[in-house]
Amino acid sequence: MLRPRIIVCLDVQDGRVVKGTNFRGLRDVGDPVELARRYEAEGADEIVFLDISASHEGRGTLLETVRRTAEVLFIPLTVGGGVRTADDMHALLRAGADKVSVNSGAVRDPSVLTRGAERFGSQCVVASIDAAWTEDGAAGPGWYHHTHGGRRPTELEAVAWARECVERGAGEILLTSIDRDGVRTGYDLELTRAVAEAVSVPVIASGGAGSAEHLRDGFREGKAAAVLLAGILHDGLTTVRALKSALAGWDVPVRPAPAEVGT
Amino acid sequence: MSTGSSDTPHVALFDYGAGNLHSLAKGLEAGGGRVTITTDWDEALGLDALVLPGVGSFGAASQALAGHEARVREALAGGYPALGICLGMQLLLSESEEGEGGGVGLVPGRVRRLRARTVPQMGWNDVVARDMGDPVSGSLDGESVYYANSFVCEPDDPGVVTATSTVEGDTFAAALRTARSWGVQFHPEKSSTPGLALLRRFLHEVAS
Repeated sequence: MLRPRIIVCLDVQDGRVVKGTNFRGLRDVGDPVELARRYEAEGADEIVFLDISASHEGRGTLLETVRRTAEVLFIPLTVGGGVRTADDMHALLRAGADKVSVNSGAVRDPSVLTRGAERFGSQCVVASIDAAWTEDGAAGPGWYHHTHGGRRPTELEAVAWARECVERGAGEILLTSIDRDGVRTGYDLELTRAVAEAVSVPVIASGGAGSAEHLRDGFREGKAAAVLLAGILHDGLTTVRALKSALAGWDVPVRPAPAEVGT
Repeated sequence: MSTGSSDTPHVALFDYGAGNLHSLAKGLEAGGGRVTITTDWDEALGLDALVLPGVGSFGAASQALAGHEARVREALAGGYPALGICLGMQLLLSESEEGEGGGVGLVPGRVRRLRARTVPQMGWNDVVARDMGDPVSGSLDGESVYYANSFVCEPDDPGVVTATSTVEGDTFAAALRTARSWGVQFHPEKSSTPGLALLRRFLHEVAS
């Protein structure tokens, strides 16, 4: 039985994990290698690094961070942020990423998804979609894809865009609700289900997780294959282990967390 | 011909030129091996064992293999130890629905697309051992391991399959064995503790 996944997302800038506070300013919360390992030990099924470095130097540092992480992390690692070409993907994969997520780069040139899938296999290619409900969208009211960290709207309706990404080679969709991001009132289940039912590849629900119930609903009602978490873990509100144990109690067949070491 | 001591098996990790080899190299080292990444079939067949990694597309990997199928098949059939992972496992077979070109043909059979609504299969799935006595895959029974695949192996002789997994009702070969060659459809280097243990057991077999 294929198990519903819990994926932990770390925002990485210049080789450090950072966290936004009150919509402005970033706080250093630790070393990506150490945090990724800690989440593996807690039972995380995958790790995502989202690079938010703006500078060229920052991107060089990212490759080094990925290299150091891949040496000690033995669960899948997805890396995203600033990927524009198949060569960018190649550099990240060679450094030790298992999958690469593409957002703005695919809007600029959707063929990057196809080239990536042909060279590396579609299982390496994750299309990242940041969707917000838009009353006056180009094709009427609906969820529309945004680029540049969710700040720049596009005319791409999210469900149609997800379909196109899959046709072009994406093997997975990372779907973030901008409306729910950071709000902790639960995933946007309608959005998640609409995309999951429209595509043949796994969909990762992201944005809005505040509790184990939200994860359960993301799987059951949102039809997500995986859920992405960040804030509630980094703030210490809960742990992957506690979430998995709650989910197992509701018969959500998550992979059990490994036995605790040293207790 | 062995260049390593008997305690430290020296394995050739073949590089098709695409994808992440880094974690697998580190996983093999953690399991007690010495690793040389190579694109040269002479070297790949001249150490203690061959590892065919599971990254890249079938077409690209098949291209790297083109012209060398027969010698790889003969070396493996003759007992040179090998571990094929995911795509690397599929390369042990003769033909694939996925792309142009063929595999080594060590295991007669074909590579077919998963019969599931959601493809690729992406995530942790449970293993059921068919041959509990297999030294590499036998102790995986009941473990969850990480898959990222759209295609699976269908050997002509079901007897080579040592373990299975099931996705959406489609039961497929999680692991197979012929001579001293093993294939696993999942990624041991991404399967945390049970995966690393499998790499260690393979290296132990190579050394014994």
